[in-house]
Amino acid sequence: MNERALQMRLGLAACAVALFLIFVAIPNWVSSPSNVSNIVLSPLFWPYTLSVMMGLVGLGLIATCLRLSANGAPLSIDVEDRGSAQLRMIGIAVIMLVSMVLFARVGMVWTSMLSYLATAFLVKTRHPKTAVVCGVVIPVVLYAFFAHVAGVAVPQGNFVRLP
Amino acid sequence: MKLMVKRLLAATAFGAITTAAAAEYPERPINMVIPYGAGGATDISARTIAEPLGEAVGKPLVMVNITGAGGATGSVNVQNANPDGYTMLFARVGSHSVNPAMKATLPYTLDDFRFVTVYEINPVACAVNSSSGINSVDDLIEKVAEGGVTYSSSGVGSLLHLAAVMVLKEFGVENPLAEATHIPQKGGGAAATAVLNGTATFLCTNSSALAGFVSNGQLKPILVTTREPVVGFDAPTAADLDKPALHQLVGWTGIAGPAGLPDDVAGKWGAWMADATADSEFLEKMTARGSVIELMNPADANEFIQGQYETFRKLVDELGMRIEG
Amino acid sequence: MSFIDSLAAGLGLVGNVEAFLALALGIVIGVIGGAIPGMSATMAVALTLPFTFSMQPITGILLLLGVYKGGIFGGSIPAILIKTPGTPASSATILDGFPMAEKGEAGRALGMALWASCTADLISNLSLILFAGWLASFALSFGPPEFFTLILFSLTIIAGVSGESLLRGALSALLGLLLATVGLDLVYGTNRFTLGDPNMMGGLNFIAVLIGLFAIPEVISMVWNPTAHLGKTRQLGKSRVSFADYRKSFKSIVRGSFIGVFLGSIPGIGAAPAAFLSYSEARRKSPNKNNFGKGEVEGVAASEAGNNGVAGATLIPLLALGVPGDVITAIIIGAFMIHGLQPGPMMFAMNTSIIYGLFIGLIVSSVFLFIFGSFAIRGFKFVANVPKRILMPAVLVLCVYGVFAVNNNVFDIGVMFVMGWLGYAMLRCRIPAAPFLIAFILGPLLEDNFRQSMLMSGSDPLVLIRGPITWFFWGATALTVFAIVRAGIRTTKGIVSRQRASAQFDR
Repeated sequence: MNERALQMRLGLAACAVALFLIFVAIPNWVSSPSNVSNIVLSPLFWPYTLSVMMGLVGLGLIATCLRLSANGAPLSIDVEDRGSAQLRMIGIAVIMLVSMVLFARVGMVWTSMLSYLATAFLVKTRHPKTAVVCGVVIPVVLYAFFAHVAGVAVPQGNFVRLP
Repeated sequence: MKLMVKRLLAATAFGAITTAAAAEYPERPINMVIPYGAGGATDISARTIAEPLGEAVGKPLVMVNITGAGGATGSVNVQNANPDGYTMLFARVGSHSVNPAMKATLPYTLDDFRFVTVYEINPVACAVNSSSGINSVDDLIEKVAEGGVTYSSSGVGSLLHLAAVMVLKEFGVENPLAEATHIPQKGGGAAATAVLNGTATFLCTNSSALAGFVSNGQLKPILVTTREPVVGFDAPTAADLDKPALHQLVGWTGIAGPAGLPDDVAGKWGAWMADATADSEFLEKMTARGSVIELMNPADANEFIQGQYETFRKLVDELGMRIEG
Repeated sequence: MSFIDSLAAGLGLVGNVEAFLALALGIVIGVIGGAIPGMSATMAVALTLPFTFSMQPITGILLLLGVYKGGIFGGSIPAILIKTPGTPASSATILDGFPMAEKGEAGRALGMALWASCTADLISNLSLILFAGWLASFALSFGPPEFFTLILFSLTIIAGVSGESLLRGALSALLGLLLATVGLDLVYGTNRFTLGDPNMMGGLNFIAVLIGLFAIPEVISMVWNPTAHLGKTRQLGKSRVSFADYRKSFKSIVRGSFIGVFLGSIPGIGAAPAAFLSYSEARRKSPNKNNFGKGEVEGVAASEAGNNGVAGATLIPLLALGVPGDVITAIIIGAFMIHGLQPGPMMFAMNTSIIYGLFIGLIVSSVFLFIFGSFAIRGFKFVANVPKRILMPAVLVLCVYGVFAVNNNVFDIGVMFVMGWLGYAMLRCRIPAAPFLIAFILGPLLEDNFRQSMLMSGSDPLVLIRGPITWFFWGATALTVFAIVRAGIRTTKGIVSRQRASAQFDR
């Protein structure tokens, strides 16, 4: 993908987002009382303004890309093995999703230990022993600090509670 | 089996098991949710009572500020919590009588909570900018008739919003929504600033929020809603002006749990609060800030809140102020 | 009472060991608190507040001010080292601080942050002492119309932090503006994009968005390519700031300090916009314009000067009017009240000794900040040497705790994760994140003040040009937009002609 293709895609995406906002999202998810005295005071005014501007920026992006060369230098983040990189991305997404589910149920300390270790081994750290030590120590130290020094009610979960 | 292992592990490693059947409430720290930000009236009140209350409870009280949406975010958090008495809420006039009266979209109603007490009453005062030339409520009402009067509040559905409308209505303004303009601000501090810099004509809020500006001579009080005069406020009371309906218009702070809170837990809170509010240091600090300490038992608290809610609801329905969207 | 008498009375009040110890302790607490993302200066101040109740008024207040000042500087440490701003105020520091750390110049960036912070702090404190009364009355003439024009002008900063493409910067800013509309409508209290979720009603938490946008994409990038950093010189965290660097950036530091003083004295804006404005001004004026965003030491200096310039100036509306300018001063005003002191015009008349005591303490605080800041830099610099695949998971865990602590809500962690993916997508599409953030901060202010102006004038648009302040900002905005558009056309032409040239070369 080069500069031109990127501009083109972004421009199209911005236009699509603008259309989605104007025709679907704002009518459905922004409510406005019936007794609005002046249109500029309506809760809808600002979101519509922004959506229109978004559409204009999208058109602008498309317009500028027409002036760019079709075979400009490619821009990409190189990675040796694209397949396993994509697998790792799914991995980190799963880690985030699972930890969201577990925070309240299992407790933040245990969940963050798991997510630390999972992330560290997902990226194949060269220091596995250090990772294990850090994975256990960092969440506990953070817990001790936030719960006992800062007085934050860190979620404890339904199973094992820390003092 | 897995659960058993985990419990065993817990018992040996940490000496604490949490199961559904609590032996003796409270056996661990209690989370006290404050639905407003640090430094606000609710926060200061909650943190002041937390000291004597913590002693009475015997377990630490963890103060948890969950702010947002005029107190709704924190309230919903408690509404959905386990009704085991380990998550309690500092309920406030804004979140639990004005909001339910004004907002149809509110994700909770008064029935979703069980109040264990109301312990603090804050008088409400109305004030104008000292250089505005307005010296009394009558002057203000005259100005309303001329047009262009505005009032600031800490947001739609806040006590400040409703209070200004209610005062205007009581003093004979037929339709306060059309004859005066509401200029909502983000927060109580900004609301007072709006009157200071001339953006708004007047505001009605807790006397404690105005005390500083009044003693500095920046704002001039024109009314307090209580029966008794408020120290430092050289203004007539609602009783002086013969408007007894305005006595309902006061701020308060109370403690509530989720609706399913067991009776024995509620009972314990009653006893703790009696101990805590008797603390002389607490009393001194609170009265210095203009609060009136008045401990209500659960039945009285419910009746008080319900009464205020109905007064507000009636006004809201009459004027068509309810937010449906 | 004459000036000398007041000064002597003030000195008598602070001239004891406890006052200075409290100040020093406060700065240490602040630097550490600020350095922990999510903990932030605000929370550090809120946590220290109860301890001040039993102290002498002046000692307690100096303790809090120490925490405040230390916290604003402390926030720059994680911003530079792990791309996670410790406080929102230090988000502009990321723009050049983190690239410097990547280049192995963490020590230099941190040193410059400290020097700029202390200079700005001093300037800010002096402005407070000399111009408090004047700036306060100026601040009171800021009603919604004046605010609206000021914010509109501030939005032009976006052009300065857009990087290579102005349109992509605008796209980023619009995304930020749109996300900032989530929540309850200010004027009517109706729902906007809340999808019926009570957690969304309060709007998206600012710190969750901020951390999600900057720190999490780094974690995701490392997952995409875990070995990208190998062979880079990040480990060499030994570099130090030189006096030549300081001299070179001195103009930007002074300019940034005054921007900070100006924006700080107006209640309701806060330190982050000041830092961004200072950064974009420094970039506009600098001969090394093109190096900004890639690790320019002057960029770090300007951002830190901007946010520390605010720290002393927020005390102007606090002391002179009794109006807190941001969340932190709202907490500090609580400390005054606990001790029966009422900030406001009367305080200058009735408690002169306290005011002058505070002034003396503030001046000393700049020196203390320099001393303890140097220790903190030495203590934290090792982070630059931690292997990245050990560090990044730790950043993830730290962000989780920090974001939770801000509002005690697990939902905010989810917001952070989602924003992290959005931030990563923006990174891949070369959309700069800074305009998003600025728009997210300023967008609601712009809309609210616009609507408040309309309400107070009965929908008469003329209120937006009601006085000299509004005229000034309208003029400034017009000039800046004109300059941006002209520069934008030039660079587009430049890119096109460069591409043509390279295309010909390819053939």
